[in-house]
Amino acid sequence: MTQRSIQMDEKIISRVDLLNICQDVIEKGNTLLTPGVADYSVVKDVSNLNLDASALPSKISYKSYVFPRTEPVLYYKRSKNDVQLIDVNIDSKKIVILGAKPCDANSLNIMKHLFNWDYSDEFFNMRAKNFIVIGLMCSHFDEYCFCTSVGSSPVSEKGSDIFLIPLDENNYAMKIITDKGKEFITPYSGYLKSGDENRSKRITENVKQPDVAFDSSEVYKWLGENFESPKWEGVGNLCLSCAQCAFVCPVCHCFDITDEDYSYTEGRRMKNWDGCQFGNFTLHASGHNPRDIQSKRYRQRVNHKFRYYVNKFGEILCTGCGRCSRGCPVSVDIKEIVSNCKNDQKELR
Amino acid sequence: MKELIKHARELLENGEVAAVIGYRQVSAKRTKPVIITDPEETSALVFNEYCLNNLAVYLTKARIKLLCKKNDKVLKLAITAKPCDVHSIVALIQENQIDRDTIHIISFNCHGVAKDFGFDFNGDNLASKCITCETHKPLYYDALFGEVKETPQASDTALARIKEIESMPHNERFEFFKSEFDKCIKCYACRAVCPLCYCQRCITDKTIPCWIETSSHQRGNFAWNVIRAFHLSGRCTGCGECDRACPADIPLSLINRKMSMEAKNLFSFVSGRSLETPTLVGSYNEKDNNELFM
Repeated sequence: MTQRSIQMDEKIISRVDLLNICQDVIEKGNTLLTPGVADYSVVKDVSNLNLDASALPSKISYKSYVFPRTEPVLYYKRSKNDVQLIDVNIDSKKIVILGAKPCDANSLNIMKHLFNWDYSDEFFNMRAKNFIVIGLMCSHFDEYCFCTSVGSSPVSEKGSDIFLIPLDENNYAMKIITDKGKEFITPYSGYLKSGDENRSKRITENVKQPDVAFDSSEVYKWLGENFESPKWEGVGNLCLSCAQCAFVCPVCHCFDITDEDYSYTEGRRMKNWDGCQFGNFTLHASGHNPRDIQSKRYRQRVNHKFRYYVNKFGEILCTGCGRCSRGCPVSVDIKEIVSNCKNDQKELR
Repeated sequence: MKELIKHARELLENGEVAAVIGYRQVSAKRTKPVIITDPEETSALVFNEYCLNNLAVYLTKARIKLLCKKNDKVLKLAITAKPCDVHSIVALIQENQIDRDTIHIISFNCHGVAKDFGFDFNGDNLASKCITCETHKPLYYDALFGEVKETPQASDTALARIKEIESMPHNERFEFFKSEFDKCIKCYACRAVCPLCYCQRCITDKTIPCWIETSSHQRGNFAWNVIRAFHLSGRCTGCGECDRACPADIPLSLINRKMSMEAKNLFSFVSGRSLETPTLVGSYNEKDNNELFM
């Protein structure tokens, strides 16, 4: 995963030429992703590309293309005195994502800490290595967006290999951010014209940005001092214990390992998404459950994102995309909850 | 709104109820559930076209039932419910999950709600269930507020879609459901929002033996969505919350509505409409239609 930033002049590319590049990506047999309403989808026809910077983020992030919701990690065969393990061939196809929101683009950089901490997860790493993120400046924001509160912004290039800024209806400023981005775009350099940084700067400087809703270092401190706070009961009463928030999140990464038998002698071991709001997430075989009630589970979610991950990896486990809140069936708003992580609030809900 | 707030306040102040489950406004076109125990907070209560949640889902939660226990006494629980949410409450009472005497139903004359938060309330954005709604006035209530207003006109596109799916050849229909269920990410939001998915332990959480594969692959997704459809057949009251909650936009209410249509055609039964009739699954009649048995 090369994320070394490189210094390169800004370029300009027309929309038509951008589509030509996309067409070539598809024709070479690679996967091209574009954001949709519900999910990111694989593009078969470039006329279906979504390059609208003002679009609402899709309901589901694109993490499933790097960290699938379900995948086999090994196959097994049992015989009388032996168990034979068979490795899985990891699909190493190149995946290009065009039009990633800045809040999505940085997701792999945040998740890679976890997948390379005590064990190097070859499944995640192999896909991340072959993943090219072409970010697009974002001009959407609603009451749920809070990227600016977690160290990002609608014009953040963090996590993008190439970053696009719409200059007018037909042209984009293109910034080549990483070596991987440079390597990807070099064969297409004929399409690129030299750009003017001042022109794109004028646009990025004038993008409406969500107000900063909270100070993450204060939240960090409050969480450390209020583990046993009765305030968690409010949101604990409301939350219905589904995993919508975790599964649409671009950086939630918990998984469960389970075996699936095909027959008495053969089967496979699966790695499946899991969510910390499920009651049985921490249920022990003994029957004991350390997070037996919903308020403890919600407390875990907030602590993991804004305290534990910071302790362990130095980054907040949140990109401020607001998906979890926008989609929450009972409208639990993480921005509101985290903003209220201070002493003068009566209850978190 | 004033009447609602006054009523809720009195209930709490007089110690008649332990808590009021209602809606509060969070932005112009969005409300969220709120559980109020302090009379001062009742001023936040609202009822309007953006009260989408079916709050009956909270009635079976152990933590909410706990709120009602005060000094060895068990107090009532007040709930604000749209007429269609009252259907869910009726179904829960019929299935012995809650006791009618412990619930204080605050209901409204309803002319429909928006299909989702953020949409203008009009015929184009009317919730699917409101298009064919016949109960603008609740069938059961302890307090009733609001005037009857006209529901915006809209065409029943969901029914047209059901007819279309019904008319598909078998393999085409299978492909349709395959492509829809492929989108499922198994977040179980559909289960979480459903008032009638009240099992303490869902079949999909059982691992020994593992009846439903937890993997969100085609087989696992089919198993989950089909078993949910079966478990809700003749029980679903059509609140449409699963549809709204699904992050993958799977049209779950088409399946549930189709099953409800079957229950009505075969057994003349509509779930959650009467406290006097037994449940469909819980009753047996020799004269029942047996076309379904092979």
